[in-house]
Amino acid sequence: MASNILSIGTSALNAAQVGLSTTGHNIANASTPGYSRQVVVQSAAQAQNFGYGYIGQGTEISAVTRVYNQILARQVVNSQAVSSGVDVYSSNLGAIENMLSDASAGLNPALNDFFASVQSLSANPGDTPTRQTMLSYAQSLVNRFQSTNNRLNEIRDSVNTQLTSSVSMVNSYAKQIARLNDVIEKAVNSAGNPPNDLMDQRDQLVLELSKQIKTTVVPQNQGSYNIFIGNGLPLVVGTVTNSLITTSSPTDPGRLEVAYQNKTKTTVLGIDSLPGGEIGGLLQFRSESLDTVQNQLGQIAVVLAETFNTQHAQGLDKNGNPGGALFSIPDPAVSSNSDNTGSAIVSSKIMDARAITSSDYRLQYDGTNYKITRLSDKTVQSFTSLPQTIDGLSFSQISGTMLAGDDFVIRPTQNAATTMSLVFTDASKLAVGGPALSSNANAANTGAAAISAPTAGTSYAASPLASPIGLTYTSGLPGTLTLAPSTQPVTVTSGGVTTTFPAGTPITYTSGATITVGGLSFVITGAPANGDQFTIAPNTSTGSGDNRNGLLLAGLQSQGTLNNSKTNYSDAFGQLVNTVGNKARELKVIGLTEAKVLEQATAAVQAESGVNLDEEATNLLRYQQAYQAAGKMMQIASQLFDVLLQLGH
Amino acid sequence: MRISTNTIYQSGISKISSLQADQTKLQQQISTGKRITLPSDDPIASTRALEISHAQGVNASFASGRQTAQLKLNTLESSLASITSLLVSTQSTLVGAGNGSLSDLQRGFIATELNGSLEELINLANTQDSSGDFIYAGFKTDTKPFIANASGASYAGDSNQQLIQVDAQRLMAANISGDNVFQAGGNDVFTTLSNLVTLLNTPITNAATQAAFSSGLATAISNLQGSVDNVLNVRAAIGSKLNELDALDTAGADRALQYSKSLSELEDLDYASALSDLAKQQTIMEAAQKSFVETTKLSLFQFI
Repeated sequence: MASNILSIGTSALNAAQVGLSTTGHNIANASTPGYSRQVVVQSAAQAQNFGYGYIGQGTEISAVTRVYNQILARQVVNSQAVSSGVDVYSSNLGAIENMLSDASAGLNPALNDFFASVQSLSANPGDTPTRQTMLSYAQSLVNRFQSTNNRLNEIRDSVNTQLTSSVSMVNSYAKQIARLNDVIEKAVNSAGNPPNDLMDQRDQLVLELSKQIKTTVVPQNQGSYNIFIGNGLPLVVGTVTNSLITTSSPTDPGRLEVAYQNKTKTTVLGIDSLPGGEIGGLLQFRSESLDTVQNQLGQIAVVLAETFNTQHAQGLDKNGNPGGALFSIPDPAVSSNSDNTGSAIVSSKIMDARAITSSDYRLQYDGTNYKITRLSDKTVQSFTSLPQTIDGLSFSQISGTMLAGDDFVIRPTQNAATTMSLVFTDASKLAVGGPALSSNANAANTGAAAISAPTAGTSYAASPLASPIGLTYTSGLPGTLTLAPSTQPVTVTSGGVTTTFPAGTPITYTSGATITVGGLSFVITGAPANGDQFTIAPNTSTGSGDNRNGLLLAGLQSQGTLNNSKTNYSDAFGQLVNTVGNKARELKVIGLTEAKVLEQATAAVQAESGVNLDEEATNLLRYQQAYQAAGKMMQIASQLFDVLLQLGH
Repeated sequence: MRISTNTIYQSGISKISSLQADQTKLQQQISTGKRITLPSDDPIASTRALEISHAQGVNASFASGRQTAQLKLNTLESSLASITSLLVSTQSTLVGAGNGSLSDLQRGFIATELNGSLEELINLANTQDSSGDFIYAGFKTDTKPFIANASGASYAGDSNQQLIQVDAQRLMAANISGDNVFQAGGNDVFTTLSNLVTLLNTPITNAATQAAFSSGLATAISNLQGSVDNVLNVRAAIGSKLNELDALDTAGADRALQYSKSLSELEDLDYASALSDLAKQQTIMEAAQKSFVETTKLSLFQFI
């Protein structure tokens, strides 16, 4: 009987000891990330039947388990992936936003200063310092475009770096999880009891993994985890791992893409296959925001340069020469896919800057048809031959042979802002003057009519006036003007009505009507007398007070130029800022919500699995007292045994 | 509900750090005086602010256009005032020249005086502005427009008008070419004066020369009157342009004021409410910190 009491006491003592060390373990790991509190599962030992009833045999420890709720843990993992994705998107977008919001660094002040200097040039066309000032503002505008785009390129590089480090973390976590799978499986198979702390470690790795990418866990019967990332790509299956790698985009060597590698092959993953986590967030940031912002900035640069150059070419510089290009802007960048089998070289040029979009384009050849996709909205146009012109861009093949399956990506605007530059620094080459002059040729004109200075249309620079055109008035009802030479049709616009007169026919005279011939427009007002003569002649002088083209250049500022002449430069930049601002705001709101969701999910896990020190203090007291009571019991058993022994004396 | 010790610390920290973030934002707003420090603070208002600052820039460049136009027109006006008084004094000289009692010699004196006036007039017609541009040369502002010759002066400029953008929809001519001032409608004031000099230097010897003198003088007086009228017309036109510039200036200044007012409404911080928010935040922060310290101080271990 006494030995029975002693063994009960021993079992109680043991149980209290296990309780104490488990409590100690909990206290020690109270702040260990991913630690789940452990509890002792204790039960009464099998009782013994003595005929008159069952006598208890003490206690036994059936297990030490961790308090872990798989459903709650899964919620944290899911929420963590979403939250990290939003956070990384938001912080990268914040870099763009900060850059745009800096009033002294934004594009708008530089645009305003530039056009103010053009305006002042148009008011003081002959003044050399004013010309120099305008050129230096043009240079600072170019610098602003470049520095803004360089900053965007830095952000692009940093996305590459972040992707590389995320991918290497994913691979490292995959290996660690696979190793733990192995150890845990062996432990479960041999001892039958799960190794709690190793399982916590593995769950913590899964959580870390979900910060990088959306992670799905499928627990197996033997205690191992199969891990799937993104949209169901197996990363860890038992002890086998697959890996992600970063690889240069086949159509853009500077752009890192994420690819999935298993034993047999490597597949480049699209953004749709990799949602969530930092990788998903980064890919989304790059394609949704960074590409868009950079392309839109480039579009403003291209359109500004092209429209300014076009107008500048309509003018005459201080040396009497037609205006040359002020801004140099690169042709659209064409990259052929590194997997192309053909040798074709494709070229693209800007035909009409006002019509271009901020989108990139993909040209694919299937052996018969050339398919051109506008990547922003996936609009596809199919052709049986090249060259073609779409959205103001030409697409042509300049050499080599194209084979089925070849594809090319055309980026008209992405790096335009960086490669933009000024063509000349000689202020006398600014074409502020008009290209043609008019005069009342015959000093003996007796009528009271005056001819205005002609202005050139966009077509003028291509075929300028070679020799003067004389206009002679013949009175009558109505009066007419005869042009000599008259080799081109003439249009007369009066009161909104345009009449076209074929080459060689006299035109009807209306005072104040706009007469257009060969791309030059002018107005004759008043009452000419029979035989009065006027002349339109090419301007070869260096009239330093001539500011006609200067006025037109300055007028570009408020003119609709982008997106088929709908948006002016400044508004286009405003739209860009607005897009970024809206997205950043949206992400802020989503980010707050997701952070809250994650916090709540984490709190729910913690409520169940986290260590509460007060609770452990209570357990400490409880097991201490249990230990003392068991000890006391053993002392009593020993005293009882002594009583028996003394009976013999 | 069971709360883990980690959660107590975690929620305390996250509350305090979110309060800190709010305070930093307020602090940033207060130190910049701007309600919007990032486009995402208010995307609509910040885009609107960009549009307004663009309009401000355009408005300012029209204002500078008006300034240039005003300067050029004022230069023209003062030069034309001198020309008017020269022509008017020439007219009064001519009144005496018709006096029959004058001898050839005395007419010769008048001729010399008129010759001086002619030279002075050519000088005035070659007036340059502060930047050295000839103001009566049309586009050819770097070419001396009037060159004296035997019959007065020849014109080397052109008839073009230099337009200046003085408002969104207004291009204003800020010059007037010399041919329109001095040679309007075929009435060349230089030729008139040069002819007069020749006429006064021609001796009157008989009735025929007397008649020629009288008719020549009458023509000259009428031509000169025509020239004076023309100059006065030009001055009147300049005067009305200067008036128009004043009106445009007033409107432009109103617009500038309106723009800065709108910008301020969009971007500027309401200091009173920001400061009271800051005070409120500080109170909450103190309470949060204090309660965090108090809660975490409580532990059973203190009593074991």
